[in-house]
Parts: sequence; C-alpha cells; structure tokens
Amino acid sequence: MTFAQPKMTARDVSVFYGPKQAVKSVTIDVPTDEVTAFIGPSGCGKSTFLRTLNRMNDTIPAARVEGQIALDGEDIYSAGMDVVQLRARVGMVFQKPNPFPKSIFENVAYGPRIHGLARHKSDLEAIVQRSLKRAGLWDEVKDRLSDSGTALSGGQQQRLCIARAIAVDPEVILMDEPCSALDPIATARIEELIAELRGNYAIVIVTHNMQQAARVSQRTAFFHLGQLVEYDATDTIFTAPKEARTKDYITGRYG
Amino acid sequence: MSSTLVAGAPAIGAEPAARAPTDWRTDAMRGRIRRRYAAERRFRLLGLAAVTLSCGFLLVLLASMLSSGLGGFQRTDVRLSIDFPALNLPVTRGQLRGSGADLALAGAGLQGAVGRAAVQAFGEGGDRYIADRAWLTVRDAVLADPGLLTRRTAIDVPASSGIDAAARGAGRADDEAVVARLEGLRLLSTAINWDFFTRADATDPGAVGIWGALKGSLLTMAVTLLVAFPVGVLSAIYLEEYAGRNRWTDLIEVSINNLAAVPSIIFGLLGLAVFLNTLHLPRSAPLVGGLTLALMIMPVIVIAGRNAIKAVPPSIRDAAFGIGASRIQVVFHHVLPLALPGILTGTIIGMARALGETAPLLMIGMRAFIASPPGGLADPATVLPVQIFLWSDEVSRGFVEKTSAAIIVLLAFLLAMNAAAIYLRNKFETRW
Ligand SMILES: Nc1ncnc2c1ncn2[C@@H]1O[C@H](COP(=O)(O)OP(=O)(O)OP(=O)(O)O)[C@@H](O)[C@H]1O
Ligand SMILES: [Mg+2]
Repeated sequence: MTFAQPKMTARDVSVFYGPKQAVKSVTIDVPTDEVTAFIGPSGCGKSTFLRTLNRMNDTIPAARVEGQIALDGEDIYSAGMDVVQLRARVGMVFQKPNPFPKSIFENVAYGPRIHGLARHKSDLEAIVQRSLKRAGLWDEVKDRLSDSGTALSGGQQQRLCIARAIAVDPEVILMDEPCSALDPIATARIEELIAELRGNYAIVIVTHNMQQAARVSQRTAFFHLGQLVEYDATDTIFTAPKEARTKDYITGRYG
Repeated sequence: MSSTLVAGAPAIGAEPAARAPTDWRTDAMRGRIRRRYAAERRFRLLGLAAVTLSCGFLLVLLASMLSSGLGGFQRTDVRLSIDFPALNLPVTRGQLRGSGADLALAGAGLQGAVGRAAVQAFGEGGDRYIADRAWLTVRDAVLADPGLLTRRTAIDVPASSGIDAAARGAGRADDEAVVARLEGLRLLSTAINWDFFTRADATDPGAVGIWGALKGSLLTMAVTLLVAFPVGVLSAIYLEEYAGRNRWTDLIEVSINNLAAVPSIIFGLLGLAVFLNTLHLPRSAPLVGGLTLALMIMPVIVIAGRNAIKAVPPSIRDAAFGIGASRIQVVFHHVLPLALPGILTGTIIGMARALGETAPLLMIGMRAFIASPPGGLADPATVLPVQIFLWSDEVSRGFVEKTSAAIIVLLAFLLAMNAAAIYLRNKFETRW
C-alpha cells in the first residue's frame, strides 16, 4: 500500500545473513505522522527489516541488504548518504533498555552534543529538559539528573532511551519491542507516550502484542517467514484481514 | 484434540501411573543432604588451606627478605677523632669559601690526612678500619663548618667493609677483634645508610647504592609503558572494532597469542638484532631496554585489551550507533571507558613482568658494571633485577645484605606500581 507523501519507502528489500535470506523482497511505505506496527511470529524478520531503515545492519558484518530504501525520496544506501546523519534522522529504541552507564543528563545530552545541536550549555540543558518532558520522565528525575542512568527502574530506563532518541530531533523513530521487558503499568506509560509523540514523528513499532498493535498504531504490517504478507490500516487488519495467514496469526492459530 | 498433538505419546492403554508424592524424609534423602553438606565443608576447607598456603609463602618470603635485607640499609660508623691543627693542611680560610672549596680540600691532601688521623687514633693499621670514602664525610663536615680546621674534633665516618661485616657478626677473626676493641671504647655506632639511596654500583659493598639501578628501572619502565600501552591498546581497538574477520586477522590473532608465550630471552635477541645491530641505538641504554621489554609485553596488553573490549555489552554499542555516533565516537566515548579497567589489569600484569625481567636485558648489554646513575635514556644503565643478579654473584660477603636490600627496593617499586594501577582502575571502574 502506498501513500501520497510517504516518509520512508522500501522497494524489493531483501536481507541476507551470509547465505541465509531473512527478509524477502519487502515493499512498504511508512507514512508521516502515523504509527506503523510490524507484527508477525518470532524469527520472521521484523527486527531485521526494521534495522535496515536506519542502516543498523551495517554493524553486523554478515548482513547484506538488497533493494532500495528511501527517506523523503533520498536513497539511504546510496554512496552520498552519511550514516551518522541518517541515524540522527531515524532514531531507534531497542528491546532491552540500554542507557549509557553515565548520568541521566549525559544520556540525553550525548546525541545533541556529538551532532552539535546545542551551541551553549543553556541550549543543551533546555534540550535535555524538553526531551525528558516529552518522554514523560522529567518529573521523576528532575532532582537527580546527575545520577547514573542505569540506576533507574526498567520502565524509567526505557523512557530515558526514548528521551535520548528524541533529543536529536529525529524525523522517524524505530522501536523494536520497546515494552517486552516492562510490566503492564510501565507498558501503558510507554503506549501513552507513543500516542503523544505521534504527529511529530513517523513511528514504527515492532510488537508481539496484538492488543498493543491495535491500541497504538494506525497501520499494521504482518510479516511471515521473511515476507510482508499484508499491510493495511490497523482496523482493517484486525477486523477484516484479506489474507488467510494474517487471520490465522491474529486469531492465535500460530506464532 | 487433534491426533497430531499426541503423536509422540505412549501407546494407548499404557496409562501413566498416578503420581506418587516424593518422600523427602527417607534415609537416602537424608544421606544425600549429609553428603552435600560434607562436600561443601570439604571444599571450603580446601580453599582455605590453599589461601593459607599461598599467604604463608608470601609471608615467609617477606620475612626472610626483611630480616636479611634491612641491614643493607644500615652502615657502621667509627668515631674518628682528628686533630686538624696537627695535620697541618695547606688550605686558607679564603679557599674554603665559594664553589672551589671541595677541590681545595682534595688538593690539600685531605684523603691522606684522614688516613694518618686514623692511624694516630687507632694505632698501626688504623687506616684500614675506615672506608676509603671516609674522607668525603670529613670533607662535608669541614665544608659545613670551616671552624673545625682550628681544633681537635671527633667525626663519625663510615667503617671499612671488613669492620662493617665484623660488626654484624660476619667478619674475619682479626676484624672481629678490632670491633671488640672499638666497641669497648664506644667508638662504633650504626646509622641509616642514606648513601645507599643516592649512589650506584661500586666494587666495595659498603659503597654501593641502589639509585643507579632504580633510576635505570624507572627510565626503562617509562619507555616500556609509553611504547607498549598506546601501541597495544590501539592494536586491540583496531583488531576488535575495525578489522573484519578473515584469514589475515585470524593469522594475526594466532601470532599474538603465540608471541605472548615466547620466552623472554628471545625478545632480548630480537632487541639485540633490531635495535643495536640494525638501528645502532646505544648499548646498555634504558631506551633500548624499554623498547625490548615493550615488544615483550605488547602481546599481553593486546590480548587483555581485546578481551576487555569484547566484554563491553553490545547493547551499549547499539545505543551509541543508534543515535548516530561515528565508529570512533563509539570507541572513545563508550567502549574504551568501559574496557579501561580490563586493559589496565593487563597492563599491570605486563609491566610487573617487565619490571622483573633480567634475561632480555642481559642480551642488550644492561649487565655492565655502571658506577654512576644514568643521566638520560641513552646513557648506560642497569636495572633492579639485573643489579640483584650481579650482586648475588659477588663473592664478597657484604653483598649478601645489599642483594636482599635491593630485592626489598624492587618489591617496593612493584607494590607502588601496582597500587598506582589499581587506584587508576578503581577510578575508571563503572557499573552498568
Ligand atoms: N546477526 C544475525 N546473524 C545471523 N542470522 C540472524 C541474525 N539476526 C537474525 N538472524 C536470523 O534472521 C531471521 C530473522 O530474525 P529477526 O531478529 O529479524 O526476527 P524477528 O522477527 O525480529 O523475531 P523476534 O520477534 O523473535 O524478535 C531469524 O531466522 C534469525 O535467526
Ligand atoms: Mg526481533
């Protein structure tokens, strides 16, 4: 399915780990200002495909990507594309919260600092405060910004990681099962956060939780065995899927 | 239920028996618990014994070194009374002012005069009771107070090595007799041998000092650290973070692992061939010694560094890459700080090994008799372990204590180095 103004487009994207093909010829458009959910059984290539969108696969020596992926119409795998800038524009939140073993302030300030986004210390402080507020963490940590980021609870750490990702003001945020290590309350908090962030960023979220996909996303893509089986409005996928495989998965036949 | 789900189940009819609750109170169970506790206890005792044994060895080593080496830091002084007016030294008061004073005293024959004073004080052969360098002590006393030249005075001067040994109960019979006589006159005393910390090697055990070898070791270690640490760490970073995995990096890895196990004397031969014969660097110099030892410990640092870098959680790397850090930023902002404690541990081990190394340094000529401390990296020098080796080879009894004293200095150096490294490591230790 395609849109008039997609934020990112993938055309015939295949990913190989050595001789093994993990993603098979996926074509998909990621809309601006909406949340897209990737669902599918374990090992079907969701994470692998997600990581092609900001070229995190470059860090895995065995991985090889074929096909075309564009951000605002610009091929991100072309020779002229700077990976560092690309990853600032397409941020990522990982499955396991992974704050740096540095202070809370440093965690958030690190991105803006290396990208030269703040001219003065006061700018940097403003960015940190704004990002933590957006990530809904400010009230909990405003009095202990110099404490270690790793001393926070799991849910707080994950929100810190989200604050860290949005501090560099990305256009797209990729989230790979951001709630799988969290309890229901922390999960609800993150889902709220995603709803608040929607509209400012294009968000792609990988999830195993059908209810979560239904709650937070407007579009849902179902992957199976490396293929994109079906991609449609979330309502349609969950109420009237066209493909039998999608229906089987959603109703819990396998996965 | 579909038939496929029970495909692997036992044939129909072989109903599993009702589950009998496990009886945890049978004798067999109790016996098992007893044996488990006994095994735990045995293991604890074994561990305790091992720790006690190794600590015991350490204590025995320390105690024996201290008991035999502490004397090396002391010297025996003889109180020598000198009648300066009677000696009639041809020096004027004016000559004793200013910088030429020590030359003037030497030129006036102070050395011979002190010998004569000793004969006068102790009788025939009395000049053999005091050390050859005793006149230097007299000279320094006169320089400090020129008024001494006008009167009769008594100065504590170092005893000769024969008297010194006899005073410690390890001398020849005739010296022992002299000591007994001097002691009866209350002329003997012991003092801390500060000269030991300021002088270098000498032929007379009473006159030797450790400073020459200590400074040689300091300079050599500085060269080793400055070369091996950056090169080793950079190699480790390159191999872990930049080089892909292929036949060449595998080959390099195997070579480095083997290099770490090569006997040290081989590195001495390598240093001899490369630094002396090819590059014509100065023989016996801390520069060459340091470079040779750097070659030796570099593999240790590379291996420790690679392991430390490998142990940094990949999630930290992902996090940094994920917000657009470049590779070099990932390495220097995140990986290296977390790997530093491990790298420092490897460096401590390597440096401790280098500090105690003798064989490779013998190959590059650091075993010469060097009577003055090195002035710089290119001056002939020796190092502590080589000095210990040389002194332990001396026949003169006075060197036995000096050898132990040098070992104490070497151990103190080692402890200081390790303490510094552990301090640094704790400073950089971060939890994640
Ligand atoms: N670094 C890697 N090297 C080799 N194969 C990999 C690597 N990462 C993933 N794969 C393989 O690629 C396939 C897709 O993996 P991927 O992690 O994308 O699945 P996923 O859909 O995210 O699964 P999950 O829901 O369990 O996270 C799997 O078969 C996996 O074994
Ligand atoms: Mg995954």
